[in-house]
Amino acid sequence: MKGRRMQGPSRRPALSARGAAPSDLLASVAMLAGLVALWWAASHGEWVSRVFLPTPELTLGSLRHGLGLGAAGEGAGDLAGYSLATLGRMVAGWVLAAVLGIGLGAAIGASASLRAWLGPTLEFIRPLPASAVIPLAISVFGLSSGMVLAVVAFGAMWPVLLATVQGLASVHPRLREVGAALQLSRLGFIVKIGLPAALPDILAGMRLALTVSLIVSVVGEMIASQPGLGQAILLAARAFRASDLFAGIALLGAIGFASNAALALAERRLLGWQRP
Amino acid sequence: MASRAAGQSPSRLRGPSGRIWPLWGRRLRPWLVPLLLVALLEAHARTLGRGSDALAAPSAALWAGWQLLRSGELLAATAFTLGSAAAGLALGAGCGAVAGLALGLMPRLSRASFLSIEMFRPLPSVALVPLAMLVFGFGLRMEMSVVAFATFWPMLVLAQAAVRQVEPGLIEVARALGLTPAARLTQIVLPASVPRLFVALRLCVAIALVVAVTVEIAANPHGVGYAMSLAQQSLDPASMLAWLAWIGVVGVAVNGAMLALQRRVERRMGGAA
Amino acid sequence: MLLEFDQVAIHLGGREILSPTSFGVRAGEFVCVIGPSGCGKTTLLRAASGFMPPTHGQVRRHGRPVQQPSREVAFVFQDYGRALLPWRTVASNVSLALEAARVPPAERPARIDRVLATVGLTAHAGKFPAQLSGGMQQRVQIARCLAQEPELLMMDEPFGALDAMTREGLQDELARLQREQGLTVMFVTHDLEEALYLGDRVIALRAHPAPGRPSLAAMVEVPLPRPRDQLATKESPEFLRLRRELYRFLGHD
Repeated sequence: MKGRRMQGPSRRPALSARGAAPSDLLASVAMLAGLVALWWAASHGEWVSRVFLPTPELTLGSLRHGLGLGAAGEGAGDLAGYSLATLGRMVAGWVLAAVLGIGLGAAIGASASLRAWLGPTLEFIRPLPASAVIPLAISVFGLSSGMVLAVVAFGAMWPVLLATVQGLASVHPRLREVGAALQLSRLGFIVKIGLPAALPDILAGMRLALTVSLIVSVVGEMIASQPGLGQAILLAARAFRASDLFAGIALLGAIGFASNAALALAERRLLGWQRP
Repeated sequence: MASRAAGQSPSRLRGPSGRIWPLWGRRLRPWLVPLLLVALLEAHARTLGRGSDALAAPSAALWAGWQLLRSGELLAATAFTLGSAAAGLALGAGCGAVAGLALGLMPRLSRASFLSIEMFRPLPSVALVPLAMLVFGFGLRMEMSVVAFATFWPMLVLAQAAVRQVEPGLIEVARALGLTPAARLTQIVLPASVPRLFVALRLCVAIALVVAVTVEIAANPHGVGYAMSLAQQSLDPASMLAWLAWIGVVGVAVNGAMLALQRRVERRMGGAA
Repeated sequence: MLLEFDQVAIHLGGREILSPTSFGVRAGEFVCVIGPSGCGKTTLLRAASGFMPPTHGQVRRHGRPVQQPSREVAFVFQDYGRALLPWRTVASNVSLALEAARVPPAERPARIDRVLATVGLTAHAGKFPAQLSGGMQQRVQIARCLAQEPELLMMDEPFGALDAMTREGLQDELARLQREQGLTVMFVTHDLEEALYLGDRVIALRAHPAPGRPSLAAMVEVPLPRPRDQLATKESPEFLRLRRELYRFLGHD
């Protein structure tokens, strides 16, 4: 199941870009500044209606006010709380998904017969949008925060599960023979050889699961009217509060960016042996 | 791991546990677990889950699905979803491919835009649903724009990589042959990138479909996602299940078709080595 | 007799790779098996180690049939890169054997150090396999096998992927190891000189066995004195005579 699938060469966020020459860094910052300037010009010049495109200053103002960093006497908005709610939901769902996905994936992936029996069923589930079970979950569990969390965990579990099964299936036969020759128990093989060998695949699956959990958290908040950034930006759009909308979007972008960066860092550390 | 001795008659195959399976058993095996689950659901719906607003028997869902097909609703909704996904894909992946190719060919520009790309790429596309709603209201353009955003970034990154990963040896051959930069681009670089670009396209197609359905579930009152959501709200579990299964079928079919196409492309143009 | 091959035959892909072959391996003996590609020498070794059952016949160790791998039988694979765990250091790779054997954690460091000293890798204990040369990686594999404290060492063309100089060094190390620890070794190779240099007995196999031309082409004792020397031994008349005798079994007949 996925909300969005990102495969292909592994990408590292800007923070850990290696070998960035000072001139490149300067050029990067310059381009970013240029885009912001473009935004400023577009919003002030009303190339697009103010209703749709607020000015950068207004957006920044909404952000500061929403996060409680505004001028004294303004009163704090709820953006900080909403951000934490969305972040919390995303992380909790992701952790749950990781535990379930790796656990079930290890159980299935370690057994060739289970793989053969369940493989096609799992492949059928792979292209399903994770958010598609939300209506079903609403029927079964009703509109609640727990329901959203359950759907997040369920949706994010599949990339991890599939990646774990895949990773264990591709353990080189030589390593299996080494395990057999050393008379390693089945569990011992999974823990000492199988899962470590599958770790690159598993981490890729967990990266994907992170994107899914953010998306499903946001969609869940929108549909089930749970407090969070998803609901906040929906309400802002309905009330034509463009700067609040943009502030919320910016925060969601920041959450996406930060969580990916954190995971990339962890991945670097865990797979350090690949680049001795 | 199934061990199959070369040259042995395929009417009997050894399964992973060593048991020998007849060929028809092997063909049937992938379907056994799903059929079992469907049967369990059917049994549950008819006994413990009778009159439930949430779950319906697969047989009822099948019937509901048949009704939807006859009324034309199924095809109309599918057409909308596939249409908006395709339109968004054309826009997003199209721009992404062009931009990616350009960046791949101009390393300095690529390095300069790295930061900006990394800033915008992690933004979840669903976050733009309210904005798209604001600008376009409901309908095709709203969904298309979100799909376009979602497919732009992966295509941008992968197209860049495809161009960069063209065999340096090929570039040297081009230089040795004295090809102009333009000819080098069209004769060597682009054709060499096609297999990887196709893999990227396949990924973007999958993304486009998923995002389209997600937008419909979240907000847009059109398409298969909305139909499923509506069925759930109308306490019609049979229809909801039918739509859910149909979404799965469409997903598998589209992905399967893209995979077959990719195999064709690889046969003609070599794999994405 | 430590290991007995009793009419062991192997069929693969509908073809007979190894015709019924019988011989025995005595404890403390260094037996080399040579033959051209496709003669079944590797499959014979794997069958003897319990990785696959022979199609016909039986391999017996201490009189009992070999049906699955055992810690008593250590196997050194030719593709050492694939047999080591890349995410573990050298010491940790060796430790795997001890972990599998449920050796108490307190005892492990001493045994690991001892085994690493035997193969001369003490200085590299903290490195990852990717940081080591081919010869060192193969030594790590051998070290891990020794950590099993096996009674039987099965080696499948272990030095085939290495350059000549490294190979000669490892051959001498292996000979020394076998002498010091009293190991029984079954060593598969396609290199006739290597087989004669290392073995107490050399078994030559034929490819494409047919009635009247069984797989087991020749079995000769190698009474060359030990310790052997890369130059002196290979120049001795006895060595050259044996070499001439066995030469034709390497796909030349």
